[in-house]
Amino acid sequence: MRAAETIRDAGFKKWDVFTPYPMHGLDKAMGMKSSKVGWFSFIGGVTGFTLGNLMIWWMNAYDYAIPIGGKPMYSPFSAFPPSYELTILLGSFGALLGMLFLNRLPRLHHPLLKHRRFALASHDKFFVVIETADPKYSETETRKLLESAGSRQVEVVEE
Amino acid sequence: MSAHNRPAADAPLDLSRWRKVPNLLIGAGGLLAVIGWIVDAQQFGYSWLLAYMFYLSFGLGALFLVLVHHLFDASWSVPIRRVVEHMACLAGPVMALLFIPNAVLAPKIYEWMRRLQTGEIDHSLHAKQALFNVPMFYVTAVVCFVIWFVLSNRLRYWSLRQDETGSAECTYKMRFYSFWGIWAFALTLTLAAIMWMKALQHEWFSTMYGVWYFAASVWVALPTVYLIAVILKRQGPLRDVVQEKQIYFIGSLMLAFTVFWAYISFGQYFIIWNANIPEETFWYVLREKGTWWDVSMIIIFFHFFLPFLMLLRIDWKLKLTIMIPLCAWGWLMHFFDVAFNILPAGRPAGYSLNWAWLDLGCLAFIGGLLTKVFLKNLNAHPAFPQKDPRLAEGLDIYVPPASAGEAAASHGGAK
Repeated sequence: MRAAETIRDAGFKKWDVFTPYPMHGLDKAMGMKSSKVGWFSFIGGVTGFTLGNLMIWWMNAYDYAIPIGGKPMYSPFSAFPPSYELTILLGSFGALLGMLFLNRLPRLHHPLLKHRRFALASHDKFFVVIETADPKYSETETRKLLESAGSRQVEVVEE
Repeated sequence: MSAHNRPAADAPLDLSRWRKVPNLLIGAGGLLAVIGWIVDAQQFGYSWLLAYMFYLSFGLGALFLVLVHHLFDASWSVPIRRVVEHMACLAGPVMALLFIPNAVLAPKIYEWMRRLQTGEIDHSLHAKQALFNVPMFYVTAVVCFVIWFVLSNRLRYWSLRQDETGSAECTYKMRFYSFWGIWAFALTLTLAAIMWMKALQHEWFSTMYGVWYFAASVWVALPTVYLIAVILKRQGPLRDVVQEKQIYFIGSLMLAFTVFWAYISFGQYFIIWNANIPEETFWYVLREKGTWWDVSMIIIFFHFFLPFLMLLRIDWKLKLTIMIPLCAWGWLMHFFDVAFNILPAGRPAGYSLNWAWLDLGCLAFIGGLLTKVFLKNLNAHPAFPQKDPRLAEGLDIYVPPASAGEAAASHGGAK
């Protein structure tokens, strides 16, 4: 946790922490903002609602109007339930695809997965990974930083 | 945890200037109410019923929150539970006393009572006479008040008892009351909504009505709890126990009940609109005339859409500059909602500004009285359950399991 705070304060951007169990407060220690997935599902929902209303209006009142029982050709009330369903559908699509997009998934391989010790992240070891693509990265400085943050072992993982 | 990361807590506000407000409200509101009763007893009856049902929902909504707290064995809501218990107790003796004008004026405002007296019994009244007769009106009222009184006061009694003894028995007692209480609560709330509000137009029927009143009640109780929790946090009594988590969760529940309320209200409208049967639609037809049309639009866009869109954002649920106005807005919208349900029966032309003074007078009187009772209770007892076994858990304080007896001691950190 303290290591995460140190690295956050050092201003790194492309890094991650792996722990064997969920840790409360880690996202704060890493300086993570709340996820942007909500915006994707919101936009998906609004699109669904609009499309639903548009579709029903186009089908029932414009393209092929069917008068039934003197009711209005198009009414927001009767159009609501299907539009609502579309809101949920596209909202959840937005959430799922937004999550995948923000996580840069699907991704077939990552060098870490070949690393032997990394499997222990799901057992009893804690990992802090800083990517070499990070603008602040320098082989010696970053090694020093990680050592000062209290890590037992520092390794460079290569492709 | 987050409380410790914060800079030093803000200084308490000086609220001493507000101390006289409840008395002023009682005085001014009481005067207006008495004048109203003398001038026009029937219109006073509608105004009083409006104010009464408006405030009853605060107590019943709070009672529901206490009941679900125990039913789900929740821990996060322990710190705010005492406040909610005091609110729930308002539905007990105080609201029963305030029901007296309703009981006296019932024949003037309920058309079915007038029809019973004159013998003009129409078909729907004939069919519903098992419930809609004068003795049943008073019997249901007594049953409702007895159940609300027993439930809210017993739940608070055992909660206060636990402050002293800290024994687990109290928790079991509260759970027992909640177990039968949730059923009794659902039945009595539905009865009250039917007998006191829906019966204004006795020909109408809607199976959603009780649920609507329930949804509206919890919806208005939540912002009230939010405000009280935030104020008591600032003023000191709940400074360390009400954390971001509690405030955020109340905000989330507000969002949930905004949607639930809208679902129920729309569902009721949609089914009646779709079936298009005159026995049902007349209720809404009346409410599309005059300024009631505008009120209904206000309710759709500002009772639902505005709070819904605002509460969607995670961070806004914690932003006091947004939430405090929104909570107050919730009261106003709930007032419109209850008015939309009650007043068209007596004032079909629309919301009448001529009688606004009487509405406000009744609101001020009951509101002032309830505030006074609430504050008296709040000051008489500890502001949060002191020895609840779930308190530490609710505050994310880890207490080693072997030392159950020391769990209470660790609350020192939460003082």
